[in-house]
Amino acid sequence: MSLFVAAFGFGLVSMSVIALAAVGFTMQFGITNMINLAYGEVMIASAYVAYYIDQTGISIWVAMIGGAIFGAVFSFLINRFIYAPFMRKGTANLGMVIVSLAVSLMIANLLLPIVGYYSVSYRERFGSIVRLGSVVLTVNQMLIIALAVVVMLAIHALLRYTRLGKAMRATAANPTLARSSGIPTQRVIDIVWLITGALCGLAGTVAGLDSETFAIASGAGFLITALAAAVLGGAGQPYGAMVGAVVIGMVTELSAAAWSPDYKQVVAFGILVVVMVLRPQGLLAKRGALAAAG
Amino acid sequence: MDRQPATEARPAPSLRAEGISAGYGAVPVIRDISIAVGPSEIVAIIGPNGAGKSTLLKSLVGILRVTSGRVMLGEDEVTNRPPEELARRGVGYVPQVNDIFEPLSVLENLEMGGYLLPSNRIRPGVERVTQIFPALAALLKRRADKLSGGERKMLAIGRVLMLDPKVMILDEPTANLSPKLADSLLREHVTRLAAAGKAVLLVEQRARAAMQVAQWICVLVSGSTRLEGRPNDLLRRQDFEELFLGAGTRNPVNDKQEEADEDT
Repeated sequence: MSLFVAAFGFGLVSMSVIALAAVGFTMQFGITNMINLAYGEVMIASAYVAYYIDQTGISIWVAMIGGAIFGAVFSFLINRFIYAPFMRKGTANLGMVIVSLAVSLMIANLLLPIVGYYSVSYRERFGSIVRLGSVVLTVNQMLIIALAVVVMLAIHALLRYTRLGKAMRATAANPTLARSSGIPTQRVIDIVWLITGALCGLAGTVAGLDSETFAIASGAGFLITALAAAVLGGAGQPYGAMVGAVVIGMVTELSAAAWSPDYKQVVAFGILVVVMVLRPQGLLAKRGALAAAG
Repeated sequence: MDRQPATEARPAPSLRAEGISAGYGAVPVIRDISIAVGPSEIVAIIGPNGAGKSTLLKSLVGILRVTSGRVMLGEDEVTNRPPEELARRGVGYVPQVNDIFEPLSVLENLEMGGYLLPSNRIRPGVERVTQIFPALAALLKRRADKLSGGERKMLAIGRVLMLDPKVMILDEPTANLSPKLADSLLREHVTRLAAAGKAVLLVEQRARAAMQVAQWICVLVSGSTRLEGRPNDLLRRQDFEELFLGAGTRNPVNDKQEEADEDT
């Protein structure tokens, strides 16, 4: 039994990491209509930026801010100089997916000569241990959970209560009408890329910290897990991505305890396939954060 | 194009198009159209399906590119200016479909309609709109896609009214409404907008209803202005129905549905 309680603790950490990644990914799709397959590589690139800052001896939490800033600026630039020009030319959605795949390969291969093949780790991987009953977590893991909770609440507050957040939802729902209402949709979309890019950078650093070691090859796994959580919850819906992250994070860790850690990914995608068969629109397709309450 | 002599002067135009052409591909959908609307005036564009009525409105509000001619807002040229600039300059546009932000609440729709207002003027704006459309007052928290057809159109118009525009451009506001609702929307609300000094340009499928509320009618057929004038002058013309029937698709003047409803 205590094995499952411990797994529950790891589940909390996993879902936090996945939620940070999946919410940014799903908002990019929901608001800018872009399925950004380069998301995982931007996560990794940001994780490396944080790694180099970490190497100077500064706290990993400061390095994480560096990773988030890098992710924000990098994502903004990718959209400005690659995605947006293609979209202006009227490239179809499938074409945009291929463009993002190309960007993903370019990032990975540009990164390779700089960072090398080998796995790296942040200096401070564990921190001291905290016991809550049978749940044993490191201080870093506790901080990751707290960070995810704070970020999710902040995203909720942004979308629900601020003028900018409502303009984002209006732009997502009906971009032409948004412009006719005087909303500068181009600027709104720029800000969406900055915010989701920051989430992506933060998620990359947190994922690197949580997985203890990471390498360029980790990007694909990051992307696929974020994608699974986003689709599970209902593509484009931030609350859906949060729910998807909870389900995938928790079930994979519990299954690892019950069965074998080797099958985590199999279990995650097993859930995804079952949900897609029973509810193809995703768990929260109708009632996400981009929608109104009630 | 066939012009009727005006018996009394029309107001100086708030918005006017001078010989504009526009379309989606290489072939223009509308060709060389001139139209104007002034303060307190209702101008209705009527014509068969596919005549280019919606295309004309979209090209006036910056959604569709004008390929020749120009659009004037008062003394300023606004040809091909982006929609957000036209909104800022006092042109309100209510599309025929996709006229609200469906996943947002009614209140949020109104707030987005007032996006350009300073934050302390949002609440008074919402109050003003709910005075014009009292039915919306009780629905502020409701998701916009849960509204009935009539409530939805009120919200669509209310959203635009948040900025208190000088010019209102309405694309078939009565489409999908019951004949009774359509009638009250045109007679009460659209008329009231003009009475409040706004220039109202609307596309209307129900030609007869349009002729009862508008001061000027423009008949659009196959992308060009076939005829324009005051409603009474147009109705007096022997060839009016023929001009319409010549358009081919249907006869909006003798719309059977409408006749039946007016009898009841």
